[in-house]
Amino acid sequence: MSPLLSVEDLVIEFDTARGRRRVVDRVSFDLAPGEVLGILGESGSGKTMTTMAVLGLVAGEPGVMGGSITLRDGDDEIGLLSDLEQVISRKGKRVSKNCRKWRRMVHARMRPLWGRMMTAVFQNPRHSLDPLMTVGAQVEESIALALPDLTAAQRGEKAVDWLDRVQMNEPGRVHGSYPHELSGGMCQRAMIAVALARRPKLLIADEPTTGLDTTVRAEIVELFRALLEEERRSMMYISHDIREVLYLADRVIVMKGGRVVETETAENLRLGRGQRADYTAMLLSAADLPSGAAA
Amino acid sequence: MGDSRLRVGLYLSGTVVGLVLLLGVIAPFVPYDPADAVDYDQLLQAPGMGHIFGTDGQGRDVAMRLLKGTEAFFLPGLMAAALATVFGALCGAVSGYAGGWLRGGVLGTMQLIDTLPRLVFIILVCTILNPSIYLIAFVAAVLFVPSIATVIRRRVEALGSEDYILAHVAHGFRPVRILLYHILWLQCRPLLIRQATYVFGYVLFVEVALSYLGDYGVQEPDPSWGNMVAQARGLRGVSAWPWAVPAVAIVVTIAGFLAFGNLLARADEEEVR
Amino acid sequence: MSRAARLAIAALRRAAGGLLLLVGATFVIYITIRSAPGDAIDAISPMGTPPDVKARLMEEFGLDRDPFTGYIAWLMRSLFGDFGESLVFSPGAPVMEVVLPAFGRTLLLSASALVACLILAILAALLLGEPSRRQQLLTGPLYVATAAPSFVVAVVFVQFVNWGIKAFLVEGGYVPPSWYPLEMYTESLVPYVFAGLTLIAGDGLFMDFFNSVRADLNALRNAQFIAAVKAKGARTLGHIARNMVMPLLSGYAARLPIVLGGVVIVEYVFTLDGGGYVLLEAARERDFPVVVGLSVLFTATIIAVNLLTDIIRALVDPREVAHGG
Ligand SMILES: Nc1ncnc2c1ncn2[C@@H]1O[C@H](COP(=O)(O)OP(=O)(O)OP(=O)(O)O)[C@@H](O)[C@H]1O
Ligand SMILES: [Mg+2]
Repeated sequence: MSPLLSVEDLVIEFDTARGRRRVVDRVSFDLAPGEVLGILGESGSGKTMTTMAVLGLVAGEPGVMGGSITLRDGDDEIGLLSDLEQVISRKGKRVSKNCRKWRRMVHARMRPLWGRMMTAVFQNPRHSLDPLMTVGAQVEESIALALPDLTAAQRGEKAVDWLDRVQMNEPGRVHGSYPHELSGGMCQRAMIAVALARRPKLLIADEPTTGLDTTVRAEIVELFRALLEEERRSMMYISHDIREVLYLADRVIVMKGGRVVETETAENLRLGRGQRADYTAMLLSAADLPSGAAA
Repeated sequence: MGDSRLRVGLYLSGTVVGLVLLLGVIAPFVPYDPADAVDYDQLLQAPGMGHIFGTDGQGRDVAMRLLKGTEAFFLPGLMAAALATVFGALCGAVSGYAGGWLRGGVLGTMQLIDTLPRLVFIILVCTILNPSIYLIAFVAAVLFVPSIATVIRRRVEALGSEDYILAHVAHGFRPVRILLYHILWLQCRPLLIRQATYVFGYVLFVEVALSYLGDYGVQEPDPSWGNMVAQARGLRGVSAWPWAVPAVAIVVTIAGFLAFGNLLARADEEEVR
Repeated sequence: MSRAARLAIAALRRAAGGLLLLVGATFVIYITIRSAPGDAIDAISPMGTPPDVKARLMEEFGLDRDPFTGYIAWLMRSLFGDFGESLVFSPGAPVMEVVLPAFGRTLLLSASALVACLILAILAALLLGEPSRRQQLLTGPLYVATAAPSFVVAVVFVQFVNWGIKAFLVEGGYVPPSWYPLEMYTESLVPYVFAGLTLIAGDGLFMDFFNSVRADLNALRNAQFIAAVKAKGARTLGHIARNMVMPLLSGYAARLPIVLGGVVIVEYVFTLDGGGYVLLEAARERDFPVVVGLSVLFTATIIAVNLLTDIIRALVDPREVAHGG
């Protein structure tokens, strides 16, 4: 089956006080429809930047500098970075990019894709919801986009239903609450409801458990597992916790220092089959899993 | 990021500040008799040799009056900046660190002072007391204490829960030392620098404004940048030099001080990090 | 408790706090009066005030009693809008009648100049987006220009208009009556427009407003929840607008006192018949009741604006009432 998403040789760079820094270095991976892809890596390894590039939301300059990202929308193939070369100019060794123009181009291209093709749940749930809107209103905003024909009353019912499906206690009360009245774990559940209510083809979960207590983390991971069992869906699940990734993902890529050091099925990793890259072996052994023979 | 630009800005504004400080320091030692300076043979001369900024409507050298005009705001400005920063820092630290009635009292007083409209209140004080510029500068300093205290209080409150401050407490450092050295000096220095230059700029503004209005500031024939600008009224567009030069001096000085405070604070912040 | 009830209680509490502040601030003003050196009555009455007027002043300002009861008596009159009678500025007229219309003009001028400034700042922030190197070459020098106190801007403004009018009029043999050219338009809005522009350009008001609006706007645009809104394919405009209301409003309220200071001198330079002009003229003539009445009005305005902002914040931001501010 042809992949839903394929990323090839993605390069992301930022200008810092100490010159230009490459934070994502020729990353490539595919994601098949219905597959859960885990992305594993330590803090700062470029996981978030990779997913932000897929979402067209990289903030900072110059940002995406090379590679290709292809989305398959039914029979259409959409190259998210196809115009990238137009905004990049090379003068000798100096490579620069017209970031304003690029941002406009990305927005125009992504507008029809955001939400319908893919949407995201971010790390730090407390900052993911609009602080001035009730949680219910934010879920309803998603529902209205996914199912424009519903009446207001039907939307309200559906929103409570979604809050129930993400295993929120008292969904009726949460519906009328503001984000600051909820705990971190509840915010993350609400955010998952907001994302799923939009019915995306691909859900990107960027460290959805970071910043939560251990018990709450386990609950959120269980929630994802339950949601996946309920309905098979394409998903990118990013985390720096190898156990979470192995528990949820079908296939795993391991990143370090902006590069992909390993691509392997979750099953092989779990069972310790095959040769492992050093870094992956270290992660596995740190988590008390069979690390396989180091290459 | 903008390291080189920051340095350029710092040098530029630093030059302005340095120049004003230099003028302020030497001005008292330059003998000047306003009555003596009048010269009806040299009215309204354009800048040239002998009079680098030209002469005013009574033939007095504009450059000389510009120099002597710094006396009106220089010391009062420094005094007010020092006073406002010290008291603002203390009030901010106390209200951020202490609890109970002390905090409530300081906060209430700050809020009270902050509701007084600054310039209007200064004019009120002028009407009643006919005060010297030092008293006016003192009042200005008091009026600025709340805004400085608020900035410092926010910082102190934010730091109070930081782990390393708690660690200092656990190590048994005395609270006064933690507050004065670790919090105020090490962490709030950039904020204080910024506020101090701001207060200086404000005192300059008040002095110049009062002298411009003519009733409470420096009176002719003594020079102040404000009453120099006020000459525009009498000149009716005949010559711009006598008022344009002090006007530019006012703008450049205020901008220079504000920018210097801002940039110095930024540089300091980057160093702390 | 319902949200409405909590809101009402919070509003009441804020209003009580505002009243307390007003009492405190008027006390400061009163104590300033009493602190005059020598005999307070001599300090506050103009030269050659007849003894019966002096006696009336003594009574009105409670100077014949101890500061505390004197203050209470004065406050009781003032709270009901009785600030006595003007002495010199408009002899015999009740201060309120002299002062209120002028102060209304001042308030209108300041408030609308600030609204215009706000709109300009928003437009500029939307247009310019993130600060860039090239923009800083422009904003650097602009920064110097906007550090000008408003009255310096006003003086320059008036001079330019002066020169312009001269160029037109001198040929016809007409020389403007004074250095001040706008007298000819006293009935029109033109001087008010000029004064408003001066207020916007002066005291760094626009630059300051623009910088903070731009910083808030950019921080909001880069906020994680806005990214989440984008990622679900919804429009960000509503979310950004709603979240900008409070920063803009607070910015407005915080700058009004600055404008109320600047407007005093700007009115004087343009000889506009507003509260600031009346204040300075009354101060010059030592028309004490008028000065005090205006000081109280200015102070009360600042308190009222802060109070209003607090209440609007409680209405807009659900986090406010919850924390029981
Ligand atoms: N706007 C920016 N400007 C400069 N550097 C940036 C910018 N955004 C991210 N970076 C850098 O890019 C690198 C990769 O960041 P990224 O957020 O992708 O890491 P991550 O793998 O998601 O880490 P974490 O687990 O902490 O979320 C980091 O070193 C970060 O400092
Ligand atoms: Mg991340």
